[in-house]
Amino acid sequence: MQRFLDPSVLAEISSLDLIAKTVVDGFVAGLHRSPDFGFSQEFAEYRAYSPGDDLRHVDWNVFARTERAYLKRYRGETNSLLTVLLDASNSMNFTSHKITKMDYARYAAASLFYLAIHNQRDAAGLIVFDDEVRNYIRPSTRQGQINRLLHGLELAEPRARTDFAKPLQHFQEFLRRRGVVLIISDFYEAPERIIRTIEPLRFHGNEIVLFHVLDPQEIRPDLGEPAVFVDLETREEMEITPEYVRNDYRQKIQQHIATLRDLARGAGMDYFLLATDQPLDGALREYLSIRQGRN
Amino acid sequence: MGFLAPWFLAGAAAMGLPLYLHLLRRHTTTPRSFSSLMFFERRTQSSVRHRRLRYLLLLSLRLALLALLALSFANPYVKRTVANASGDKLLFLVIDNSFSMRAGSRLADAKREAISVLNSRAPSDRAQIAALGSQVHVLTQPIQDPSALRTTVESIHPGDSLGSFGELARAIRSMRENTRVPIELHLFSDMQKSNMPAGFSEMALPPGVTLVLHPVAKAAQPNWAVESVNAPSQVWDPQKARVDAVIAGYETPAATRTVSLVVNGKTIDSRKVEVPADGRASVEFQSLNVPYGFSRCEVRIDSADSLPADDSYLFAVERSDPQHVLFVHESSDSHSPLFFGAALASAAEASFTLDPVTVERLLGIDYSKYAFVVLSDVISLPAQSENDLLRYVRGGGSILIAVGTSAARRAHVPVFGESILAAHDYARDGEHFLTVGEADSSHPSLQSSESWAGVKFYYAVSVDPANSRVIAKLTDQTPLLLDKSIGEGHALLLASGLDNLTNDLPIQPVFVPFVKQTARYLSGTEDRTGFRLVDSFLELRTTKEQAVSVEVIDPAGHRPLSLQEATSAQSYQLTSAGFYEVRLANGREELVGVNADRRESDLALIDDDVLALWRGKTGTDSQQSSVAGQSREPAKPYGLWWYAMLLVLVAALGESFLAARYLTPRTEEP
Repeated sequence: MQRFLDPSVLAEISSLDLIAKTVVDGFVAGLHRSPDFGFSQEFAEYRAYSPGDDLRHVDWNVFARTERAYLKRYRGETNSLLTVLLDASNSMNFTSHKITKMDYARYAAASLFYLAIHNQRDAAGLIVFDDEVRNYIRPSTRQGQINRLLHGLELAEPRARTDFAKPLQHFQEFLRRRGVVLIISDFYEAPERIIRTIEPLRFHGNEIVLFHVLDPQEIRPDLGEPAVFVDLETREEMEITPEYVRNDYRQKIQQHIATLRDLARGAGMDYFLLATDQPLDGALREYLSIRQGRN
Repeated sequence: MGFLAPWFLAGAAAMGLPLYLHLLRRHTTTPRSFSSLMFFERRTQSSVRHRRLRYLLLLSLRLALLALLALSFANPYVKRTVANASGDKLLFLVIDNSFSMRAGSRLADAKREAISVLNSRAPSDRAQIAALGSQVHVLTQPIQDPSALRTTVESIHPGDSLGSFGELARAIRSMRENTRVPIELHLFSDMQKSNMPAGFSEMALPPGVTLVLHPVAKAAQPNWAVESVNAPSQVWDPQKARVDAVIAGYETPAATRTVSLVVNGKTIDSRKVEVPADGRASVEFQSLNVPYGFSRCEVRIDSADSLPADDSYLFAVERSDPQHVLFVHESSDSHSPLFFGAALASAAEASFTLDPVTVERLLGIDYSKYAFVVLSDVISLPAQSENDLLRYVRGGGSILIAVGTSAARRAHVPVFGESILAAHDYARDGEHFLTVGEADSSHPSLQSSESWAGVKFYYAVSVDPANSRVIAKLTDQTPLLLDKSIGEGHALLLASGLDNLTNDLPIQPVFVPFVKQTARYLSGTEDRTGFRLVDSFLELRTTKEQAVSVEVIDPAGHRPLSLQEATSAQSYQLTSAGFYEVRLANGREELVGVNADRRESDLALIDDDVLALWRGKTGTDSQQSSVAGQSREPAKPYGLWWYAMLLVLVAALGESFLAARYLTPRTEEP
């Protein structure tokens, strides 16, 4: 089943929900554990029913004895709010093989949604942004939420350029409830500026994870002869030599990754680097480990 | 500079290809998209410029490669004189050791002069030594070792050859074709006029040769010499043998000279002769009283000049009994033995004795004791006798057959074997007579004969000339004289008679030399002479006498032929004066007196203006003129194509190196 986590295999599948199902089922099967992993069966508390709550979770025995409706809550269902912030700037359109960074980010987000909603019973939401917020799907556990999220992902075509500062205030409006916030981006911005922009989200008690999506050619570019590079976001052109790519660029990108990781962890965030030629289970594993830690 | 094949320069148009690849294609490169350029810096522009510079180096190498390739195929050349091709020169020292250099101290002076030239040469100059006689004998390779060169010069001995400046020029021309180094030719000679070739142009030296003359004789010296001797090589009757000698004086006053005839070292006769000033005088010795066998004879004059070597003339004489000739005729024919015998007897030296015999008395004769046999118009020859004669001829004997009117009664010529086709009686035919139409004067029988044009032939038979050499024909193309090889011998057929009935040959002046030459030819003594000139060749064997050893003993008593040469050499060059003892392949022994060419006795010098002209044709012997000579040398085209090909190779290697360095995709390190 491991091969179904391979992005190049997933690229052959057109349906995003099928991709998500395939990934998650394959991931779960690969754990050799119960499919209910992470879904706690331990009773936690009763909570008074409020309009909008799912009636399936009402403890009818208590209602029969007391004529009051209570919802039975289990451990693991607390703080189960997943919000994915997906960068849809033009730079996410880069690829050196079958899968663009945007595709990889979609697969990862879809798989996380599927895992959260179907396996963890978590509410999941999506914010698509570039230099402004382009789409917002409120976190919910309602029926059909997964379809809305996947549809939102399919609509998220890269355009414009990344700007974390501008949509930041919108993020804060949307993220008033505590939960897990996953930011999927290639983070072509100064690390200090990124962390400074995202850090306020942490103040609301959110668990923030930076999923840094990069193409292998961005991490370790291979240039045989001098070429003219065009910036996908700014359309700026520059002539590049193999010597510079081989020496200076690699040093700079590695330093950028290290700085971003260090600053993120220093600010209480998690950082995870996703190379688009690597399987998707890394992202899922990261999410589960964070969610477990929250319980 | 020019091009031998300039149309190949059109190939330089291919230079547009690398221009296209480097320049035009560069501008059509599709930019590659990249996520962000935030990690690239503007300063990379400078590295791009640097890369362009290196690519321009590659471009220039490719352009040079194509241009040089087109250039090499166009075969460029530059014109330059041969003398400019190299800085050094070759000193070619030629020392004349011809016969005239024996006069006085000429050869010693020449060698001393040559050594002084060797001592004064630059140490870097190579020198080569040669001796000049009738040919140029190169004695060393071009070397710088002064002691070896000096030793070689000192080892040159006087020779007996006739010097030839024409041969020297030919050798220099041949040498010049094989070397690019300019040659400085030093000639140490007495500059004898007789050494010049018939045409002055034969002395012309090629460009690049500077002639420096070192005359060792300042003026002509008087010289008397025995110029020639006419003596028989064989003597049968000493009283009938005569010796004629010519005494010549060159640049001499009138003088009385004593001429001696010396046989085996003993003077047997002596005469006084008045030699006019710068003229000649003849001396005749009436008898040559020599013992049986070979004798070493010479005609000698008293020595009174600086060149005593030409005061005697050597010749060899063999005394033997006269050879017998068997003359077979019909008893009714008394004319032919009379005419033939008279002619044979009147021939010089009377070396043959005619033994006439009729056909009836032919049986039982031993033919082997006769030098040759004559069949004169024999009507009927007994079969036994014909077989014996045929056996005699096949075994190496010779026969002369004259076919007269008897041929009408025969179908074929006896011994000769060929059939008689017809008999022509020109007197009856109304033509009265025919004359000789064609005659092969190269045949020994006709070699020294006068013209046969006046001889009238009234009767002749037509013989099938199938396997014979036709020597003479009548005007109606009837073969008159035929020569046929039968076994080891010869048969000579005269298609008419030896009497004066069928022709008037016996009473014509041409008859005596014809009989004499024919007798010598048939007896095998026609080519024997008692004296020869230096550098002439002595035939040692015929083509049939292969793998038979010969022997030559030179005047010094040495055997100059090796064992292999003794069994294979066809001829031997007589290189020095004196007596040579020779045993030929046919077993015959000979003694030959060899004399220097008497043209060497004339010590007259070449005129100064002729020498100046010779030097002028090649520049001069002075440094100044040498330079002028070089400037006059015709410029030769000097090909440069292989230089261009060498540069093509270098450019190709450089291009490969740079292309491999710049254009090969790099392997990603892990």
